[in-house]
Amino acid sequence: MEYDLSFFSEMFVRTFSFWWVIIPAIFLGLVVGAIPGFSAANTIIILLPLTLAMDPEIGLTFMVALYASSRMGAGIPAILVNIPGTAGAAATPLDGYPMTKQGRGQQALAMSFFASISGGLFTTVIALLSLPWLSQIAYYLHSVEMIVIMFFGISLIATIAAKDTLKGLIAGFFGLMIGFIGTDVVYETPRGTFGFLELYDKVPLIPALVGLFAISEAFAIIERQSILTERGKAAMQNPGWSATFEGIRMAASRWWHITWNSLIGLVIGVVPGAGAAIASFVAYQQSKTYSKTPELYGTGHIEGLIAPESANNGVTSGTLVPLLVIGIPGGATAAIMLVVLQYHGVTVGPDLFLTSPELAFGPFTAMAVTYVLMILTALPLARYMSKITVISTIYMAPIIISFTLVGSFVPRAYLFDMNLALVFGVIGYVARKTDYHVAAILIGVILGPLMETYFLRAMKMSQGDIMVIFSSSIGNTLWVLLVISLALPYYMDHRRKKLGDGS
Amino acid sequence: MTDDKEAEGSVHTSVGSQLIIPIAAILFTIYYFYTIIDAPWTAQVAAFIVGSILIILVVLFGLKSVKIIRTGQGALDFDDLITPRSFVPKRLGLLSLTIVYIFIVPSLGFTITTFLFLAMATLLLSEGKNMSLILSLSAGLSLGGYLLFIVAFKTRFPAGPFETLMKVLF
Repeated sequence: MEYDLSFFSEMFVRTFSFWWVIIPAIFLGLVVGAIPGFSAANTIIILLPLTLAMDPEIGLTFMVALYASSRMGAGIPAILVNIPGTAGAAATPLDGYPMTKQGRGQQALAMSFFASISGGLFTTVIALLSLPWLSQIAYYLHSVEMIVIMFFGISLIATIAAKDTLKGLIAGFFGLMIGFIGTDVVYETPRGTFGFLELYDKVPLIPALVGLFAISEAFAIIERQSILTERGKAAMQNPGWSATFEGIRMAASRWWHITWNSLIGLVIGVVPGAGAAIASFVAYQQSKTYSKTPELYGTGHIEGLIAPESANNGVTSGTLVPLLVIGIPGGATAAIMLVVLQYHGVTVGPDLFLTSPELAFGPFTAMAVTYVLMILTALPLARYMSKITVISTIYMAPIIISFTLVGSFVPRAYLFDMNLALVFGVIGYVARKTDYHVAAILIGVILGPLMETYFLRAMKMSQGDIMVIFSSSIGNTLWVLLVISLALPYYMDHRRKKLGDGS
Repeated sequence: MTDDKEAEGSVHTSVGSQLIIPIAAILFTIYYFYTIIDAPWTAQVAAFIVGSILIILVVLFGLKSVKIIRTGQGALDFDDLITPRSFVPKRLGLLSLTIVYIFIVPSLGFTITTFLFLAMATLLLSEGKNMSLILSLSAGLSLGGYLLFIVAFKTRFPAGPFETLMKVLF
């Protein structure tokens, strides 16, 4: 079959005809993405009977639309109340929340939506055009290379907590140790579990996220009448459409930034297991490193918001690439899509492009159409959503605690997870009050199990030789790049100071 | 916190509270090492590498803290955690209510427990003002949560008398 312009045009027109499935999925995705514990994967599982009853092409379109919009939805509470809906949005509040406190919540949401939509749309088209080539990336990354990538992730911690690198590193490595809790994947020896059976299967991510971000934030905000600063309150007095248009204009003027960061997300998304959390932090770090104004990051800087948001939406299309090309799902949602396709007797892999091109290319065209329809459905919501920030903390704190605490119960239905969320809440509160970054602890918890798995595999293959981590040419290149990325901010800072002294 | 300090122009560092996270990290790392002491080398290596780096970082931070105390830039107190002091009773009250919430939600179920928690926590924070508004808001939110999470999303939230009654009626 010829995959020419007319083929793709027909595919897009055909996908647009499924608007009646896509639009409800967009709104559902925005809601479930915004509630910690209600990921797209969970919602798709809940709605599985409905999806399985649909025609496979329509079912896939529904799942893809929900997946893409939930990614964007996760950024909404991250910006407005400092609580990321999912771990993939954990880098979003770094600059999004300070903007909200300044009364620029509407503008921040518009920027985030624009970066998400344009970044997601761009990477979807790129993924569609370069499917065979992109699928090769996963083949070149083995345990050793992944260990270096994990260390890349840890190096980000120091950059994120730029005010005190030592504290950032302590928080990150503490998070890594917490992430090591559970049984090891080779010998199934329980480690660091305090005797709790519920921790044998690693520390669940949602209670950690809820505790570190939501519970700790709720305990911290009661000191203030409102999450807004005095300037922010004044700015919120005259809400109108102008802040939305201004946000779009400011984000659009940084089109190159969106393009570059969404491509980072796409490439990381192609690697199975890497995910949106890593992509958004990598994007944030490199955006800050190469910025002319790195000191503005963390204070409500536009580029600090659009970098993670465009990257985590780039991941969305990336995770579908290995699923459709080599049959390996790049994430939980992609794994559920695989189950649905298998239920309908569809075998994914290279043959799918010959036997059922509408199913092979369909998810990408569905994603592109979803992003187009989001311009009309999601962008206008920024004005109304931002009003949540004027609610008094007297009401907001108890609502955050009760709803997110129960949200931590949802993924596994263990009451233990609510207790765990409270423990993480206390850790998060102490961290916030003493200027340890909660995001640094969280990224450690996320990377810990991944890093250990790759370490164990590498050790097993090398029969316990630690030097295996320097045995691969790609890995060694990445080590060099890691050292450069650690040294570069110091060099740039030194150079900037030198130039400043000179002038 | 940092903003507050900057606003006040204070340079005082509460070393005691700054050391809570590093000490917790060290204690947990030692406990973790204890649990893997008999495990095969391949299962220990990642934790030993990361844990050793963590211990070095905490020692460095400890030395930095000693320097801060010696130069008079800080003291071994916990001011960072408890200021502003006027909010300590409210914060402890909210923490107690949260613990009670987790404790009773398995028996009373999501809807009733959420209503009680929202009402009591909001009354605590508002110092008893606007009682009728708070009670109606708490009822509306807990019922809304019931309809969204349990009825619409079919989530396995803890069920109690209210959820059981609704199941029987509808």
